[in-house]
Amino acid sequence: MEIKELRGIKGIVAAVALLIIFFGVFSSFLQLEGNVARGISEEYNKLAYRIAPNNLASWVYDYRGIDTLLETGVIYVGAVVSVLVLGRGLVRLNVPEEEDIVKVSGMDLKTETMPVLLKYFALPVVILLIAYGLLVVLEAPTSGGGGFQCGVIVSSAYLLSVIIYGKKSPLNMRKKALVAFGTFGWGLYVLMGLPGYLVTGYWQYNVGADLWSWVSTFPGAVPDALKAVFGEPFMLALQLKEGISYATSGILPIINIGESFNVIGAICLIFFAFIYGWSDSEEGASE
Amino acid sequence: MNEPITNLWSVPLLVMIPILTAIVVNLLYNKARAIRVISIGAAIAVLAISVVSPYGFHWFAGHPAVNADGTYTFTASVFSWKLSLEYYYGPLQQILIAVTSLLLLFVVVIATKSLSKNYGPYVAIVFLTYVSAAAVIMTNDFYNLWIAVELGSLLVAGLVASSGTGYAQKAALKYTFFSALAGSGLAISLGLILGITGYANITDAIHFLMTNDLGGMHAVLYVAFAFLALAWVYAGGLIPVHPLKSDVYRSAFPHATVLLQAQSKLMLVAIGIVLLRMFGALPFAREVMLSISVLTMIIGIVMALIQTDFRWTLAYIIVSHSGLVTVGLSLGTYKGIVGGLFQAVNDIIYMSILLLCCEMLLYFGKGTSIKFNGGIAKKSPWLAAFVILGTFAASGIPPFNGFQSELIIIQAALEQSLPEVAAVVLMVSISTFIALFRAVYSIFLKPGEDHPVRQSEAKRFEIPTTVFVFLSVLLAISFVLGVYPQLALGFLTESALKVVFVPWVP
Repeated sequence: MEIKELRGIKGIVAAVALLIIFFGVFSSFLQLEGNVARGISEEYNKLAYRIAPNNLASWVYDYRGIDTLLETGVIYVGAVVSVLVLGRGLVRLNVPEEEDIVKVSGMDLKTETMPVLLKYFALPVVILLIAYGLLVVLEAPTSGGGGFQCGVIVSSAYLLSVIIYGKKSPLNMRKKALVAFGTFGWGLYVLMGLPGYLVTGYWQYNVGADLWSWVSTFPGAVPDALKAVFGEPFMLALQLKEGISYATSGILPIINIGESFNVIGAICLIFFAFIYGWSDSEEGASE
Repeated sequence: MNEPITNLWSVPLLVMIPILTAIVVNLLYNKARAIRVISIGAAIAVLAISVVSPYGFHWFAGHPAVNADGTYTFTASVFSWKLSLEYYYGPLQQILIAVTSLLLLFVVVIATKSLSKNYGPYVAIVFLTYVSAAAVIMTNDFYNLWIAVELGSLLVAGLVASSGTGYAQKAALKYTFFSALAGSGLAISLGLILGITGYANITDAIHFLMTNDLGGMHAVLYVAFAFLALAWVYAGGLIPVHPLKSDVYRSAFPHATVLLQAQSKLMLVAIGIVLLRMFGALPFAREVMLSISVLTMIIGIVMALIQTDFRWTLAYIIVSHSGLVTVGLSLGTYKGIVGGLFQAVNDIIYMSILLLCCEMLLYFGKGTSIKFNGGIAKKSPWLAAFVILGTFAASGIPPFNGFQSELIIIQAALEQSLPEVAAVVLMVSISTFIALFRAVYSIFLKPGEDHPVRQSEAKRFEIPTTVFVFLSVLLAISFVLGVYPQLALGFLTESALKVVFVPWVP
């Protein structure tokens, strides 16, 4: 649909619909102001100190971990579909008469005209960005940030290096490696559900933190060895006003690492395909 | 009565096995043999799991529910506020997921046999489409419902675009753009419901609404209903987005459309049931749903009648029959809901028969145009038999399954003193027969006035053995459900009863 098609009756209908939607949403928000029910969030807040000090990490990756797993899937699928449209994995029926596949070529990226100053400036920025990304993902359970943010930061480092240096980019990742990044990332996230499933029956039960095996109706038990493997490396001593409390975020840091790999693989692959197009031979930035 | 368990083993496997399969086959990319073995194995596994699984809940991440006195529990028999994300696997979920798993198996076998190389990403998208459908029908959580719909919309676009043709990419792009509205609508609805109740769990949110005075917040509830209904319309392809959805059905390979239409039906059922559970008691809510459904039925079938290509005819009949499913649900009565759910099961089955027959026309290189075809029945009598019997099933002609569900919906409409709705259902049924038989006659039965380019072709067309088996299985199911509907109704009645009498129970 083009903008000119919105002239006349279609445009009036669209404008009226938008006005109704705007009025409905805006008036609802006004009514909710000061009346928002706290619901289950109070319980989450009560338990905050027992998992990750960054309560948001507990919400996103533990209590709502399966939501985030599927959200991670949205990023993964976004990459698969975007790159598919550009040529990776387009399929045809093995039949006599099929319509032609639309070929999409890459951008005409010219880096020769890039100022020398930028070329000197970009490399340290890329290194700093990657270091910052690593910091953000490793500190996910204790401060703001996490796998998503790390992935976006590292991807922007990749894009910067490709724009400045082109095929001679120091951050030269092969397209197969980028696909493997995504595979490893989402796969790691999915598989972190397995230990909890095998010992308690609950998928993605946090065996490192093991919050609930003391409840009488809890089925199963977490072996000490498993608790040690997933819990001890991430143990923190929290100074609360009631005294020191030991807490571990358990599997959450590992999930965040998986998340970051997924986002790096997905976003960099989309960049790669848009800049260089796609052919099934190893070419483009990889050479 | 047995205590419902909260760590049902099958639920995570029904989601995680397809996800892991998708990840692996996407990585394998063009290793055709490995992809074929892994994907068929995984499809058989999820089918087996869906069939043998008992019923119960799965509380992902294993957090307990909070009792009124602040203690924690892992039992689901008494109402308590859930800390975990909850999925439920009951009889309704079982029949819908089992049927979809069967179709997944068929689609994977056909895809890995009939497509050119490099089908790893395609098969990955097929498996993830299944995941989105399974998640939507099992989840008892608004937030998760939103994400599953969002994921599902993107996958539909991927499945359509993978054929790489210009019109397919255009259809995929349009659908992606507009289906973003479905996700946004659901997100706004979720936000408002969370604001009013504080709970993303559907049971908990309904319980909150039933036990608390909302004061002057009913208007907010209506806005939440409107946005959830918008998501329902977009995800299921009801009016006014029927052109987008029919474009999608027509542009994908017919075997992919088998899965796409199943996914749409599951979304219509899942979101429709949530609408009834959450907002069914609101004045005018069901009337709005019913109006959308009736209009979808009428417009869909009218569009089907004027098409000159079998793929387009099927695309619009799928849209029209989506309205048939939602008419039953929108009636909101026990019988209506049973009829709507049964129609969803039946529709998935008989449309799959017709779509696979349509795919065979592509195999034969004859195209699917009504104008340039003819005489296929002579060259492939079995295919003609399958398509004619599929047409009978889709048109509600006994002894096939479509008859039983349409009869229940008509009875439900009459019991609600809505003879006009019953008449429209009847009209749609007859028009379906006309639209389909017009195409079937032109392509299969009319003496061959072959396409000029193909006049030299006089050989017989053989249906591949696997597809012959799949068509036979689907036709047998269609016949058995038509003769003995209790076989399916036994899975559906419990859900319908819960929606009507205890809506907070998933």
